[in-house]
Parts: sequence; C-alpha cells; structure tokens
Amino acid sequence: MTPFRRDIVSKSLAGVVLGFALALALVGLFARLGPQGLEGGNKYQLVMWMIAPIWLSVLAFVFLFRSGLRAWLWLGGASLLAHGGLHACRLLLH
Amino acid sequence: MRSEVLRLYKTIHSWTGIVSGMLLFVCFYAGALTVFAEPIGRWATPPARGAATIAGADELIAATLAARPDAAKDFSLYLAADGRPARLAWRKSREDAVRWMAYFSEAGELRVERSHPSSIAAVVDAVHRTAGLPVGVEIGENITGVLAGLYFVALVSGLILVLPSLVRDVLALRLSANLKRMWLDAHNLVGVASLPFHLVIALTAFVFGLHDPIYAALDRMVYDGELPKIMRSTSPFAGVRRDEASAATKPVAELIAAVAATSAGFTPKGLHYRDMHTRGATVRVFGEDPRFLSRGGGFAALRGATAEVVNVDYLPEAQSSWTKIVAAFFALHFASYGGDIVRWTYLVLGLAGAFLFYSGNLLWIESRRRTARRHGEGVMQTRSTRLMAAATVGVCLGCVCGLSVAIASVKWLHGHVDDIEVTSRAIYHAVAALALAFAFVRGAARAGAELLGVAAVATAAIPAASAAALVAPGLGPFASADPSGLCVDIVAAGAALGFAALARAARRRSGAGPSDSVWSAVPASGTGAEGAPTESRATAPEPR
Repeated sequence: MTPFRRDIVSKSLAGVVLGFALALALVGLFARLGPQGLEGGNKYQLVMWMIAPIWLSVLAFVFLFRSGLRAWLWLGGASLLAHGGLHACRLLLH
Repeated sequence: MRSEVLRLYKTIHSWTGIVSGMLLFVCFYAGALTVFAEPIGRWATPPARGAATIAGADELIAATLAARPDAAKDFSLYLAADGRPARLAWRKSREDAVRWMAYFSEAGELRVERSHPSSIAAVVDAVHRTAGLPVGVEIGENITGVLAGLYFVALVSGLILVLPSLVRDVLALRLSANLKRMWLDAHNLVGVASLPFHLVIALTAFVFGLHDPIYAALDRMVYDGELPKIMRSTSPFAGVRRDEASAATKPVAELIAAVAATSAGFTPKGLHYRDMHTRGATVRVFGEDPRFLSRGGGFAALRGATAEVVNVDYLPEAQSSWTKIVAAFFALHFASYGGDIVRWTYLVLGLAGAFLFYSGNLLWIESRRRTARRHGEGVMQTRSTRLMAAATVGVCLGCVCGLSVAIASVKWLHGHVDDIEVTSRAIYHAVAALALAFAFVRGAARAGAELLGVAAVATAAIPAASAAALVAPGLGPFASADPSGLCVDIVAAGAALGFAALARAARRRSGAGPSDSVWSAVPASGTGAEGAPTESRATAPEPR
C-alpha cells in the first residue's frame, strides 16, 4: 500500500486539464454515436451541457487518487482511450 | 474514509470556499432579487400614459412604420399588460445603442420618442451575473463561471466532510454556549438541506459563464469545424429565406391565433418582427407558459406573410426532445416554472445560500482565532483573520447596501437622467466600493454593525420613495404603474426591519462579546489587568 500523498497542485491540474479532455471525448462519443448523430436538432446544446457535470465531477473527486502521478496516469490513460475511440469513429463512420 | 483523505478535502473545502465565497454571496443575494425582476421592474415603472389594445396594435404598427419606415427591418411589439399600453421598440441598427419607442397617447396621437427603460431589474441582473465586479458582462460571466466551478468542488468536498457523521451532526443544531459549534451546525444544516438546489445552480452557472469557450473546444475536437453550420441549420428560421418582394404581413390577432392553435396554454407577451411586409418576413411570438420547464418563457417562429408556424422548438408545450432537456436546466436556474410558489422558494434558498458563504467565512476566521489565556493578557489576532473579516463584512454588506441604494434612487432619478441604467450601475459600484473601503478602515467589528445600519436605512428608503410619491407628488418620485409594485415596498420594509435587528445584535456583540475576537470593538486589555473581560466560553479546539 503506497502512502497517501496530498499533491494538491498536481491533482488540481490533472482535474482541470484532463477532466476537460476526458469530458470532451466522452460527450464527443455521445454526439457521434448517440441518437441522431451530429445533426440532431439542437442536440449540440445538450452535448455542450454534458461537459459540465463530467468535468466538474472529475475535478471534485480527483483528490481521492493516492498521488498526483496516479491521477495524471489514470485520467491521461482514460482521455487517450476516449479520444482514440472518437478518432476511430471519424475514420469508420465517414 | 481514511483520515488523510478527509484532511485533504478539508483543505480543498477551505480554499475553494475562501476564494469564491464572498463573490458568490453577491451572486446569490442579487440572484435572489433577480427572481423577482418583474415586480421590481413594475415598481420602478412610472404610470403609463397612453392606450392601445391588441386590436389597436395593428394601427400602432401601421402609424409607426408610416412615420419611421426604417423600423420595419427589426422591431418588437409589446402587448398591453400590467397597466402599460401596447408599444413598439426598435433600434436603427444593431450597432446603434439608442432605443426608440412608439405608442398612442390617450388622445390617440402617435408618440415616437427615445426610450429610457427604467431597467433597474437589468442592473440587479448584471450584478448577479458578474458577481458585482466592475467589469463588462462577458468578462464578468466568465469569472462567475470559474467561481461556479470552485463552488461545485466546495460543495462536493463539504459533503465528503460531513458524510462520516451525517446523521449525528447534520440533524443536530446545538444551540449551546459554544458559538463556533452552533455556526458550524447551521452551516452544515443549510448546506445539506439545500444541496440539490446548490448542485443545480453550480452546474448551470458554470455553463452560462463558460459556454462560449466550451463550444469553441467542441467545434475543434468533436465537430471538426462544422458546429457553426449545424447551429445555423437548427435555428428557428432556418427554413425561411430572405425575400425582399413585398407581401403584407398578417395582422397581430391572426398571428397570435396561429400560436394558440398550436399551444392553447401559451400566453403571448409580444411579437418580434423582421423584414415586415416582405415575403420573407418572420415573426417570433414570445411569451410564457408556467406549466412547463422552459428558458424563462419561449416563443414560436412564424412566417409573417402566411401566419404559418415554422418552428416550435422553443414553444414550451411543443419543445423537441433535445430542447426540452436543455430547457429544464435553464428553468431550474431561472425559477421560471411553477409560478410564485417556486419563486418564493428560490428567494429563500438563494438567501440561505448567501448565508452559507457568509457563515463559511466566519468559520474560517474563527478556526484561526487566538484565544486569550486565563490571565486576561491582550491577544492580537493574526493579520489574515483581521483582513478576511473586514473583507467579508465589506463585500457582503457592500452588495446589500449598493443594491438597496440603487433601487431606492430610481424613483428620484426619473426624469433627471438620460440613461437610468448607466446611473444605477454607477451608484451600485460606488456604494459597494465605499462600503469595502469603510470596512477596512473601521475594522470588521465596528463596520459590521454600522454597515448593517446603513443597509437598514437604504432598504427602508425603497418604500419611503413610494410613500413620498403619495404624500408629495411634486417632489419627483412617482407612484408605480402597477399595484403589484406595492409588494416590493412591503418586502423591502420587512427586510429593513431585519437589517436593523441584525445591526443591533452586531453592535451588542462588538461591545459585550468576548474581547479576544475579530468581532470585538473593545481594545484588547493590557497584561494582567484586573477585571479584564474573560467570558467563560467553551471553544473546543479544532480537531486537527
């Protein structure tokens, strides 16, 4: 069991930067794969609204990670995966 | 939950709270008033001179366009309501700040004049959106958006802190000799009881403040630059082409009837015309329908030449599914559903929120308090607690005083200034800045009581202005156009009494309370003086 580190600056930055990156990719997947695709009437507004709860939840709970490094690795990995999926959609669904 | 996690979240809660708390107080206090923007606006509106009903609205449009053909491009018709006659409003171009209005006088003559809407409600709303900062609305909203993000983190971290002892602590309100424990209990009780409201407000305010940068990022990362095109294609008038060929636009009653056929419960308040009397003329019939969650009202889009409804995406009863979900977020922030009961509830919740931030700051100050030892030697509080106490008093009460003075002065300014909105905003910022400076010069203890006294007097000046209109009509103030303005007078009178009671309590506290506190105006006594005030208090030390 590694000791718990506070790492306030590192964890906060991970929450702000990677929380936003992850939120963008997740709502992007919903925008492309969800009902009516990118073109649904006014769907883009809901897509934009969904950013807030995802981003802010990541920022609020990021301090539960045992260290700043772990926060960066986990959230960074999740962001890369989600953005990879988004790019795969671009290539496959065109 | 491990103790080190809780300790980290305590730090996060303190920091996010201290950074955002005072400005959020301003947002919430002004926001609680903004919920009642309409009655406040009616209170500040002079009695109407003129007459025009729905039947007369067509004649009003025809007469105005004959006199001012340039208005046809883009103007709004406000239907007669609240004792005000129907009137037209327009600007010569989008860049032109000067607003014009036209109405029929009681003698039936067309009057065209520069319009000076006494929009004190807009000033209160601007304070709400910009946290009372003296910056432009756009920058202010960005700042408020960031504040809302901090506020969300403060809410979640606060919840994590009370979770382990939720049942034991939250449902207790220990009114004991231990003042700090009582404040903490009250802070937790209000926070947990209104948590859903606060989560909704934090998330929605975050979006309102930051939607432009978020859209920009989405456009790049998700929509591959297509977003502006998608936005245009789903706009209400996407299906209507501009067409300059002349064609008569249908009369007002027919346009309203077309909307009523789509949604009978919708109450129209006005119509917004574009390119009137051309084949491409468009009309937005806007109004409200409190039965549904909507964006503080809604509208139907019509083709002017045929009165055919072309878009109901924003008509509360007929909203499309995507719009309906998003409209719910707007409505939950604006309290634009369920009528007066919900509005009063939001007023109470908003003021409770303001209390939450104020008490949070008090707890932060109290946690850092140095207490006098038993021998009664003088203590000096740290500079940070003294400054934080003064800032808290100055910012929070400066907002209260500023809004009261700005509202009360509207009736006196009427007819003397060209643009009341600019003047009212300047008055607010001047009073708020003076109060802040005063708090730093006088110190928190004295300034707290004195500024509460100013708030009581300034708030009492609101009904006093209305009373002056009745007693001495020649003085300047006018009686409000609408009897519902009286509600504003009654509530303001009650609030003034409340502030007066708080001022008395604060004065007692600063004179007779424990002298080893930033809230004491009694100079800390010399070393070992006999009879130094040593109140027996049971301040339990912070569990560290």
